[in-house]
This record gives sequence, C-alpha cells and structure tokens, in this order.
Amino acid sequence: MAVVTYIENPSKELQPIYANAKSFFGHVPNLVKALGSNFAMCKSITNFMIQSLGEGHVNWAFKELVILKTLRVMKSHYSYGAHEQIARSLDVSESKIGDIANSIWRSSTHFSEGEKLVFELVEQIGIDANAVTADLWTELRKHWSDSQLVELNGVITTFIMIGRVGDTLGVSDPVLFTRDLH
Amino acid sequence: MAHLPYVEYEDAHPLQKKVCDDAKARFEMILNIFKITGHAPEMSEKMWDIFFEILKEGQISWYDKELLILKATKMGDCFYCVTQHEAVSERLGISKEKQADIIGVEYRFSPHYKPNEVAILDLCGHVVLNPENIPQEVWDKVKEYYDDGQIVEIVATIGAYLQVSKFGDALGVELEDVWGGHEPVLFAAEAPTSKVAQAHYDHFMESKN
Repeated sequence: MAVVTYIENPSKELQPIYANAKSFFGHVPNLVKALGSNFAMCKSITNFMIQSLGEGHVNWAFKELVILKTLRVMKSHYSYGAHEQIARSLDVSESKIGDIANSIWRSSTHFSEGEKLVFELVEQIGIDANAVTADLWTELRKHWSDSQLVELNGVITTFIMIGRVGDTLGVSDPVLFTRDLH
Repeated sequence: MAHLPYVEYEDAHPLQKKVCDDAKARFEMILNIFKITGHAPEMSEKMWDIFFEILKEGQISWYDKELLILKATKMGDCFYCVTQHEAVSERLGISKEKQADIIGVEYRFSPHYKPNEVAILDLCGHVVLNPENIPQEVWDKVKEYYDDGQIVEIVATIGAYLQVSKFGDALGVELEDVWGGHEPVLFAAEAPTSKVAQAHYDHFMESKN
C-alpha cells in the first residue's frame, strides 16, 4: 500500500501533467498519481521520466535492458515487471531479458561487446560510482558516442532515483504502458 | 580530469545554453556537472528542471532540503556534492557544528537538531540503504510533522541527489577551482568509505596546502 494518497482527480495546474503522462503511457501511472500532491515534483519528475524513456541517442529497446539491469543491481522492485513487459513489447528477446541477471550477461552470446560494457558500467555505478575507471570509459568510448554515454549514464542514474522513490512511497505499477509502443 | 569532455557554453546546443543561462542566474556560475550534460541537451533540460525546483523554498523549506542533501550525498560518498552543499547549507544558516552532527546517527543526540529534522534524517538513511523495509515508526514520526505533499518532496529530494551524485561521480566530474578555499566538514569528521572518494578528498586537501 502506498505511503501517500494517489491523487486521482488532478487540480487544474496538474491536469496538463496528467494529460502528458496519459498520452505517453496510455494511462496515468500510479507513480505520477503518488507525486500528485506536490505539483513541482510531479511535473519535473514526470517530464524527466518521459524524456528518459523512448528513443533518443540510444534506442529504447536497449535502454529497457539497461533499466532492468539497474533495477536488479539496486535491488529495486518498483516497475521491474512492467519494464520486462515493455522490453518484450519492443521485441527484446526472452534470452536477452534473462541473461542480464547477476553475471550471466558476461558470458552471454546475446550481447555485443559494447552492450556488455554498459552493463559493467551499471554494476560499477551500483557498487561505487566513484570507482568507475578511466579504462572502462576508454573502452565504452570505442563503442558509443559521448552523447550516447551521457544519455546511458542518465538512464542508469534516473532509474536509481525512480526505483528509490517508487519503493520508498510503496507505489506499484504492474502495467506501465497501455499504448502501442510500435 | 573528467572521463568525457565538458561542453563549453559557446559550443552548446540552444537547449543546453538555456540550461546554462538558468544555472548561471541561480548559482552565479556554470558548474562542470552542467557542462558535461551538454552532450545530451534534451536530457539535460529535463534533468536540471528537477534540481531547479528542489533548490528553493517549496512545500518544505530549502533549509530542510539541504539537510537531506548533505545526508544523502555523504552516505553516497559524493565529495563533489557534499563540498558544494556544505557551502550552500552555511549560507542558509546551517552551522558547521550542525552539519558535522549529520553523520551516522549523531543528529539524534545533537542539541542542534529539532525532532522534525531527526525524523526526516532517519527516513533519509532508510531511503538510501533499504527503501522497501522502512519501519512504520519511522513513517509515523515523519507524518507527525509533514503532510503528503511534503513527504513527496522529501523523498524526491533524496532520490534526486542519489541520482545526480552517482551521475557526476561515475563521469569523474571535477570540483571547480572556486571551491579551493572551502574547509570540508563532513569528510573531515568521517572519512569516506570509497577509496576513490578518499583519494579525491586527499587530493583536495593537498592542493590547499
């Protein structure tokens, strides 16, 4: 049960935020409703979450794998099942979704070298962000542009935040998207 | 040196220039962490909007938010964030003695802390370490002093600073020269757990001497 009351009937100033969320997700996620008692936080976090998802410098399907890996590393449960569904909807194979668990990704044949380096980044950020080595960044830059790397670092850390906020507030979102993702 | 190049203002995308203009208006300078997000200006615009909202009076006071930021970023061993927010905290009237007592659970026994501040710092510790198992008595204490909208702001502030501290630390974003005269409080009182954060701290102190 959520720690705060979900705001089901948004105030006039919240209505555009809810409308934006509904347009993107197909419905208003419970996390947005949980944030609804604070307009400034609801607006800024919802907009950032929407920006982090979807296509960008990195394709959305890979971002979903990065999100799943991040949630696993941080032991966050908020929205994990929903992101598995999103990954499937974006045609990510069951093998890839399964192989991000623990250290299986290291020996998996389903990931490229560049993708594995990103999972290494997720694990290091989860343990100690200070300890991400220059060598890892050098290797990452062989496979990804600086724009992609900043976006990937943004996705990883954003979902550390989203996981923490969702878990702390006791929010559940079993289905995140109800609109067609294609 | 940071692991990726900084995007200077003159080279920035128009969206990023707007972020930098806002940052300069608020903080009197464009911090390195703003510059590095210039590689992904669409993300930068939305990410920094959260922090522009947090770093001012809201449904809870900026003063209370600075206590949470110090606690969360110290627990995350973020020397970059802690250094800057020690300075901001002092400007908002949080004494160095009060800052130092935020470490561990010292604040519970410190004469500098009010019961509502103890309640949100206890919550902060749980959010950072184990957000799924926050004891009911911790929530009961928080709810004695704060309503739903304020709780959202408390939790969002902690979450956002976990985000930005890891974002910056992973990229090796460097503390700007302007902080050279700063006398560290929290890391002087308690060494970081991270060996790399300790190295940052040692390097900072050596460069002062």
